[in-house]
Amino acid sequence: MAKNRKYVQEETVSAGAHMVRHVHVFDVILFIILTLLALVIIYPFYNTILVSIVPQAVYTRQPFMLYPKQVTLENYKFVFESPLLLRSMLNSVILAVVGTLYNMILTVLLAYSFTKRDMPGRNFFRFILVFTMYFGGGLVPTYLLYKALGLVGNWWVMVLPTGVSITYMLIVSSNMSELPAEIEESAKIDGANDVQILFKIVLPLIKPILATFTIYYAVERWNEWYSAMLYLKDNKLWPLQQTLRQIISSANVISTSLNGESRPPVYGDSVKMACIVVTVFPLMALYPFLQRYFLTGLTLGAVKG
Amino acid sequence: MASSDIKSIQDAQKAKRRKLVLKRIWQLKWIYLFMLLPGLAVIIIFRYLPLPGIALAWKKFTPTFGSKGLYSYLSSSKSVGWKHFQTLWKEADFWNATRNTFLISLLKLVFGFPFPVILAILINEMTLKRYKKAVQTIYTFPHFLSWVVVSGMVLNLFGDTGAIKSVLGHINPDWTSNWNFLYNSKSFRPLLVISDIWKEGGWGTILYLAAIAGIDPSLHEAAIVDGANRFQRIIRITLPEITSLIIIMLILQIGNMMNANFDQIFNLYSAPVFDVGDVIDTYIYRKTFQSSTAMDYGFSTAVGLFKNVINFILLIGANRIAKLFGHDGIM
Repeated sequence: MAKNRKYVQEETVSAGAHMVRHVHVFDVILFIILTLLALVIIYPFYNTILVSIVPQAVYTRQPFMLYPKQVTLENYKFVFESPLLLRSMLNSVILAVVGTLYNMILTVLLAYSFTKRDMPGRNFFRFILVFTMYFGGGLVPTYLLYKALGLVGNWWVMVLPTGVSITYMLIVSSNMSELPAEIEESAKIDGANDVQILFKIVLPLIKPILATFTIYYAVERWNEWYSAMLYLKDNKLWPLQQTLRQIISSANVISTSLNGESRPPVYGDSVKMACIVVTVFPLMALYPFLQRYFLTGLTLGAVKG
Repeated sequence: MASSDIKSIQDAQKAKRRKLVLKRIWQLKWIYLFMLLPGLAVIIIFRYLPLPGIALAWKKFTPTFGSKGLYSYLSSSKSVGWKHFQTLWKEADFWNATRNTFLISLLKLVFGFPFPVILAILINEMTLKRYKKAVQTIYTFPHFLSWVVVSGMVLNLFGDTGAIKSVLGHINPDWTSNWNFLYNSKSFRPLLVISDIWKEGGWGTILYLAAIAGIDPSLHEAAIVDGANRFQRIIRITLPEITSLIIIMLILQIGNMMNANFDQIFNLYSAPVFDVGDVIDTYIYRKTFQSSTAMDYGFSTAVGLFKNVINFILLIGANRIAKLFGHDGIM
């Protein structure tokens, strides 16, 4: 086929230099497909933002918008003047910081201890930890235990049980073991003990992995809502996601409304979307810049060779 | 100095050194255990301590008032043998939930599984680096959102007051007079599958992209010399090279069948679509917290146990089989 031969000739002629290809039909189609898909992914975000910057009345008349016919900040004003939402935002920030710190410290300590082959009971403990990934107590036994531990109604229920993600821990651990043994050995000769080795040598060397999982944990804590819904009745303790959930679900009744009225209010779509935007915005703003950390975590422990 | 003196000094030094070495080893090992302890304690407290509560599956739950102790409810609850499991076996709602769990997982498998594979292959064929990176940022971002947020967007888009219904209404008012995507049994499952693909499809491409990037380029070069076009190279080289990864991911997803995404369904479903959308986890949740027979905790524990046991078997089985294909399992 003449077309192929021409393609092949161009490739082999320029094999030594940078591969130059003329644009194929395939490339154009590919570009179109990928762009269309990107638009489909973006559309819900776009729609949400549009609905949030448009007055509720304008939205109700014409829900489908390609551009905002009338821009207003009244929905965001409502959000940022609501004591409940502001407190929820604060709760989420504190939760993300405290929770992530808690998770990372436990993870790092566990991971490092598992790199030591001479740790007594290593395989036994590993089994105990991994087992929890496959079997659990279930909703009721867990709930009753938390109740007995005094965690129901307690803000710490969103932090303490989250403990360690075994998957992440094992990946960090295998990363730590891949460091050359000489580094540790020379440190030991210089008289360092294990804690010093961990903090002054091992951790600085695996900073990218630590960054990745810090981000993963932080996102998990930021997205926390289930434990708040189950265990926290006081909405002053709620993280943003749980408050958001209450606002969005039409069937639920909020005991204390956003502005202190006793009658459960019905929230307009525009306000709901404004809440969503506020919740998502930190992630959306940070994601492009931290993307490589988000993406490397998956391949670190998965594909071998 | 007499040789015996030298020897005794040497012995003394040796003994001292041995003592120090032993002391060192002793200290070393304990430090590791100390490092292990906090994480292990947390896991034991929050994942293992609930386990005895499983015994509630064979009891009728009766709370103890005033008595302390982690498992006081176990002693105060009377045993009813296998009654809960018998009720379970006859409960239509439970079988409905089980059927939905498997059906929804199957739908997600058939439609959701190929999507990241194909997309990864397509993305890999794209040569514009900046564009590739930008497009990947867009595709992978939704994975990091919570289902609360995503369901909020979906509820708005597909709801009564939403954009999609409005557009359809303009095209043909008959379509939208009584139809609501979220409350209609026919559209709910597709909505689940589509929103799941929207959220997780892009994230799924990462593993496959990494695998494709690891394919030996000389294979492609040889094929080009032999006159293969792009399509042929994809089918004959790229796909076979990542087949083992595809099989592993497939097996793992099958093993996870019983965990139809609680977060997603709980935030999207409602009473009108229980018949198609209720899954085991949401069923357990309702039985536990919204049950008409107050505090029927024994029953919901039984359901939970049933699910956990089968889930365990599926997961372990899938893991073992995946290992045969080269997956360095975690166990």
